[in-house]
Amino acid sequence: MSQVNEMQAQLRKVAAELLETGTVGYIIGWGATRFPDRTTPVFIHDAKDADKLVWNEYCINGLAKYVLDDKIKDKKIGICVRGCDSRAINRLIIDNQLLREAVYLIGLPCEGKADKVKCGKCAHKNPVSYDVLIGDLVTETPVTDRFKAVEDLEKLSADEKHAYWSGVYEKCVRCFACRNVCPVCSCKECYADQYRVGWQGKQNNSVENWNYGLTRAYHVGDRCVECGECERVCPMDLPLMLQNRKMLKDINELFGDYECGLSDDRAPILGEYDLSDRDEYM
Amino acid sequence: MLLDKKRLKEALDILSREAKVLVPMGMDGIAKYTPWDGQKLPDLDIVNTMLPPKDTLFPQTEKMYNFTTGPNAQIAEVQATENQVLFGVRSCDARSIDCMDKAFLSGTFGDSFYSKKRENLTIIAVGCVKTGPFCFCDSMGLDPSSAPNADVQLADLGDAYAVTAQTERGTVVLDQWKSLLTEGEGDAPKPTCELKVNVPEDFAKKLLGMFEHPIWDEVSKPCLGCGTCTYVCPTCYCFDINAEKHGNEGTEFRCWDSCMFSDYARMAGGHNPRPSKKERVRNRYLHKLAYFNEQHGQLLCVGCGRCVQKCPSNMDITRFIDMAGEAIKNG
Repeated sequence: MSQVNEMQAQLRKVAAELLETGTVGYIIGWGATRFPDRTTPVFIHDAKDADKLVWNEYCINGLAKYVLDDKIKDKKIGICVRGCDSRAINRLIIDNQLLREAVYLIGLPCEGKADKVKCGKCAHKNPVSYDVLIGDLVTETPVTDRFKAVEDLEKLSADEKHAYWSGVYEKCVRCFACRNVCPVCSCKECYADQYRVGWQGKQNNSVENWNYGLTRAYHVGDRCVECGECERVCPMDLPLMLQNRKMLKDINELFGDYECGLSDDRAPILGEYDLSDRDEYM
Repeated sequence: MLLDKKRLKEALDILSREAKVLVPMGMDGIAKYTPWDGQKLPDLDIVNTMLPPKDTLFPQTEKMYNFTTGPNAQIAEVQATENQVLFGVRSCDARSIDCMDKAFLSGTFGDSFYSKKRENLTIIAVGCVKTGPFCFCDSMGLDPSSAPNADVQLADLGDAYAVTAQTERGTVVLDQWKSLLTEGEGDAPKPTCELKVNVPEDFAKKLLGMFEHPIWDEVSKPCLGCGTCTYVCPTCYCFDINAEKHGNEGTEFRCWDSCMFSDYARMAGGHNPRPSKKERVRNRYLHKLAYFNEQHGQLLCVGCGRCVQKCPSNMDITRFIDMAGEAIKNG
């Protein structure tokens, strides 16, 4: 049995036990679809359905956002977490969207999935937080090109940058998939859904799309856990992580090495204040 | 009649003299119907463009009125008068225009913004020589190689297209192409879809009886509430009307809306009759598979598979249809 299949078997066994003992109310994981190269998020309530959980290279979708759908008061929600999902869970905890006690984290070390764009710059293959671990921790490989694409973009002139982003937002259809999948976007009501004169216009054009995209990028800012979900779900294949990484690169340059969601007790860096912070703009 | 593929450019040139010709093109990785540039031949190897051709008749943002305010307030309707040709349309997308016609033009009220564009549109369909992994049009009662409501049907014979006029407008096109066409006929491939769906008999009616069925909880769970499925869908036609005003001048416009958005059904005062994803997913599937059938006697899903392909959560309407079919069978 391959290692992945062993992990899948172990995952199902652990899931069945967690449901049988009532440790969790249900488990969020990945399940099969009609297509061999796709999985879909599944919600397993019954131990006998634990075999519907799959673990393979197509377990690509981020799952953390789904914990916000339900507030089970008496039982924990079990959720499968890879490195990216666990960082997203931490992010939700930091922002008081979720109590750590409300979730039971089933950690799954992940060597990267079939989506090379999403997983290409992953610096945390192992879950950074878990209650039970499936399989063995894997060796982390340092990422050397985290900001490579940003650096390339920064070399362009202002006009070239403007032309580049105009082109990007010309294509955006404003389906809001990037926002809805994002574990950072947890506002009860998004500013973009509010009807106000002179607010976010509903027209689809590059100006309004750009307004939406940039507002979201700034709002996500230091809280991006770099899961790459926004870019994965974009039906127009827009380079959304480039924007997020630009923010993170600036933050790293201004405030030192920073990655969001590595623990559940460190506030996002822009929410911290330190006397040594740069203040030349004051 | 036959049109040699070597003369396709000339054929498009002729159409371009009197109309904006839209052809399937893979632009920056996103295939869509794009105004023909007079040079590059259409990308007819694409089975389905990523974006459907619906914005030809129903633009994502469409100006309706220009207005001025004040004592001499004026309102002027913005009307499209340009002739358009959709070239290389697949059976599913041709049928989707038939669905939109029913939505916008049938009944006592015709949508003038749509009808003006529809009157000036020529549809030239091309039969599929292969189907894509997400295609299921033949399960929805369509034929991948034939689009009955297109003005002209092309059938791919390898080196040439067999050309058939199916409407008066189509006859005009063949007349314009006269110098390019040669006598002849041939057999085009008759592909079928690999993805099969079992649409039960009287499905629409039976589905209406399942409004409170637990199936909706199950199928809606993975939904993220984004608009991807509705925006890539060739038959989703919901819109919202809004205005933009600067000083005393402004524009009233309409833009695509999506029943998957949380604010779609929200009323003044804040009440939302579709408060969660369950109600929204149910509404979309019922509109596609039941409500539209009640109003217009046909399903509002043409089996193009775009929503299946692009859903961020890999939700799958074919799987839903089969699940609902099972539920119906099991009473």
